[in-house]
Amino acid sequence: MSIEVQNLNVHIKDNHILKNVNVTLPEKQITCIIGPSGCGKTTLLRTLNRLIESTEGVTIEGKVLVDGQDIIHSGSEVTELRRKIGLVSQRPCPLPMSIFDNVAYGCRINKMFNKRRLLIYQVQKNLKAVGLWDEIRGRIRTPASRLSIGQQQRLCLARSLAVEPEYILADEATSALDPISAKTIEDLFVQLKEQYSIIMVTHTLRQALRIADHVVFMYLGEIIEEGSAEEVFNHPQQELTKKYLSGAFS
Amino acid sequence: MFSMTIIAILMVVVMFVGLYLKSSPVLQEKSFWQLLSSSEWKPMKGEFGFLPFVAGTLWVTLISILIALPVSLLTAVYITEYAKPYIKRLVFPILDILAALPSVIFGVWGVLVIVPWISQHVAPHFMDFSTGYTVFAAGIVLGVMVIPLLVSLFIEVFSSVSTDLRECSLSLGATRWQTVRKVIFRQTFSGIIAATVLAVSRAMGETIAVLMVCGCVIGIPTGILDPCYPIPALIANNYGEMLSMPMYEAALMFAALILFVVVLFFNLLSRIILYRLEKRLG
Repeated sequence: MSIEVQNLNVHIKDNHILKNVNVTLPEKQITCIIGPSGCGKTTLLRTLNRLIESTEGVTIEGKVLVDGQDIIHSGSEVTELRRKIGLVSQRPCPLPMSIFDNVAYGCRINKMFNKRRLLIYQVQKNLKAVGLWDEIRGRIRTPASRLSIGQQQRLCLARSLAVEPEYILADEATSALDPISAKTIEDLFVQLKEQYSIIMVTHTLRQALRIADHVVFMYLGEIIEEGSAEEVFNHPQQELTKKYLSGAFS
Repeated sequence: MFSMTIIAILMVVVMFVGLYLKSSPVLQEKSFWQLLSSSEWKPMKGEFGFLPFVAGTLWVTLISILIALPVSLLTAVYITEYAKPYIKRLVFPILDILAALPSVIFGVWGVLVIVPWISQHVAPHFMDFSTGYTVFAAGIVLGVMVIPLLVSLFIEVFSSVSTDLRECSLSLGATRWQTVRKVIFRQTFSGIIAATVLAVSRAMGETIAVLMVCGCVIGIPTGILDPCYPIPALIANNYGEMLSMPMYEAALMFAALILFVVVLFFNLLSRIILYRLEKRLG
């Protein structure tokens, strides 16, 4: 089970955002998409779960194969795709409801459990998985907005995990967090890669160095280089990659 | 500019005091509650019971909001969540035009279209005869008048929801409609209430269009196919003849005072709800 992107071109109005992108994102690994601002990292990520379609004036050409099925043109059910590919966004975004209801939201929407007991178990399991259970025990019915920013981001991760996705997309998921919360999220991703394929957009090279198994370097909408973290970081083939890694531009 | 602001605020106070002083003769004769709870309206005998007018106002406002609320809510949801940009560009000027139409035009439309429709097609199912000048006609006309205001307010309320929040819900596998129902409505609940309260206050004060289609018959309506006589219509219809009878004048000023206080109350309530919403959203 992997995601394969073939000849992907994305235009937003007159801007050619993604240019002939071809990449295979390996399963059960952390893939970090790196590159300077505006290089198309987030657009690529948003194409993988088709959130890009809500952008005004967007046209998509090419194929994105998820488990062998082209999600762009096959007319596949977008809601099922999004359940399968979870998203953790840049800023934590708790829904306007309690901590419990936040985690249960996706399960209820997708009618995953017909017994309340099972739903409660699923919520507990995922709050434990992100290390939030012990911190919020006893106030699980309080509004999620009362949690700290770091806790909110872990809640969002728990919410994504609760719908049992196969992939997790993370769009600079630690950039709005304090260093300790960011480290907690990073550690969680490292633990979770045994069960999920994680595709992470990051602006911080050091973060990619710490946790990436696979690296995709993008520049001006194109993939310049991709490969294992070891290859890309230690033996980059392309001149642009070398410059980027040396900090010549960011 | 500061003095102009003070003058604008003072206007409200001056109007309140003016109305109170003008209505004081009738308040000296009977208590506030006696005036509001009595349904005897015989100006020649000095009987001023406002219950039929209060009931008329409440009936018409209720019907208008029941009609306008679902239509406006769904229109605003469609425009903010589903509509393509060119549709949005088309709808906004139309809403502005509708909002700016003089109310007499709505009244004429009510007399020419709604009143005959009720008289010929609706009322015969429930009663032998109706002129069509009813609570229902006034409610429809008022509802249609309130829709542009409510749609604009709801669009503003829904637009305050961040794209991130929508995408969070969508990315969990929710449909757009599920996102609207379970996230956007919940997030903007106080905004929806505030907008509705504001529309209620607008509906309560509307005069001419309602006056043209409500029937202006004094009596407490028992159903939507009864005629009614809301407070603004009472004041507008009788203003000319009140000068000869001091107590009648005081009674009408009391009616104006009730309307003034109620509309002010609903406006303030709406502001308070919006203030609390803004505070909560930070």
